[in-house]
Amino acid sequence: MNISADRPAGSVDPKLLEILVCPLTKGPLEYDAGKQELISRSAKLAYPIRDGIPIMLADEARALD
Amino acid sequence: MTNENHFGFREVDPGDKQPLVNRVFSSVAGRYDLMNDLMSAGLHRPWKSAMVTAVNPPRGPHPFALLDVAGGTGDVAFRVIDAGGPQTRATVYDINAEMLEVGRQRAAKSGHDGVVDFVEGNAEKLPFADKKFDAYTIAFGIRNVPRIQDALNEAYRVLKPGGRFLCLEFSTVDVPGFDKIYEAYSFNVIPAMGRAVTGDAESYRYLVESIRKFPRPQAFADMISAAGFRRVKFTPMTGGIVALHSGWRL
Repeated sequence: MNISADRPAGSVDPKLLEILVCPLTKGPLEYDAGKQELISRSAKLAYPIRDGIPIMLADEARALD
Repeated sequence: MTNENHFGFREVDPGDKQPLVNRVFSSVAGRYDLMNDLMSAGLHRPWKSAMVTAVNPPRGPHPFALLDVAGGTGDVAFRVIDAGGPQTRATVYDINAEMLEVGRQRAAKSGHDGVVDFVEGNAEKLPFADKKFDAYTIAFGIRNVPRIQDALNEAYRVLKPGGRFLCLEFSTVDVPGFDKIYEAYSFNVIPAMGRAVTGDAESYRYLVESIRKFPRPQAFADMISAAGFRRVKFTPMTGGIVALHSGWRL
C-alpha cells in the first residue's frame, strides 16, 4: 500500500508535482529541489515546501525580482 | 452573497475573516477530531460515512483521485482510501498548517502516507490544474471560507467531467421542539465543552455562530448550481443538523 515508501522523508511526491499549478495565475511551476521551492514565473513568486508540504499561499511565498 | 463577511456574529471584511478562522483552527488542531466526537456525540462519524459512501471510490484496480478540502487532519481522506481500491489516492488540502501537521502524523501512523499528499492553501484559489480529480469533498469546512462562491467555482474547475462535488455542512434544524433543544445545546454546551477539552471556549463559540450564519440549504444548493454543477441535491440528516450537498460536473 505504501507505494512511495522509497522516497526520502520530507520530499514531495512527483505525482503531486505534475498537477500543481500557481494558485494565482494557474500557470506552471518549476520545482527547485535544492531550495525546496515551487517557482511561478507568471506570478513572480516562489512557494516554499516545508517538510514535504507545498505551501501554496501568496502570503507565504518569496517574491522574485 | 450576504454570508461572506461574518466571523460568527461579528461583521468582518472578507479579507479579515481568514486570519480569524486560522486562529480558531490553530488553537484547536490537536484535539479537533476528539472535539468532533464529543460535540456531535459521535454523530460526525455516520455523517462522514454517508459522504464516503456517496464518493463511492472504485474497489477495483481503476485509478481514483480525491481532493479533500479543509480536511487537514486526514479523517475523510483516510476513510475514502480505505473504502477504495489499490489505486485510490487522496490530496488533503487545508489552509491551516497545524491541522495538516496533525494529518501527516496520523497518515504516517496509519500507513496512509504513501497514498495521501498534503498541500497547504486557500480553497478560493486551488493550486491544481483543471480536470484532475474524480471527487472533491469538503466536510464542515465551506462555512469557514470567506468567499464561498469562489471556492465552489474552483471545485468545478479541478473536477474531471463526470466528477462529483460533495459537501457535508451544518444545516438548519427545523423539527419543532428539537430546534429549541439544539439551540440551547449549541450555545451553552458546546462552548463549555470546548473550554474543558481544548481550553478555548471562544473558538467553539465561533463555530456555533458560524453555523447560524451559513446559507439555508436551498440557497447553498443554488450557489452550487451557479458554479456549473448539475443534478445538484441535498439530503438533510439527523433532523437537519447537517446536510450532505452534492453535484456533478457533467
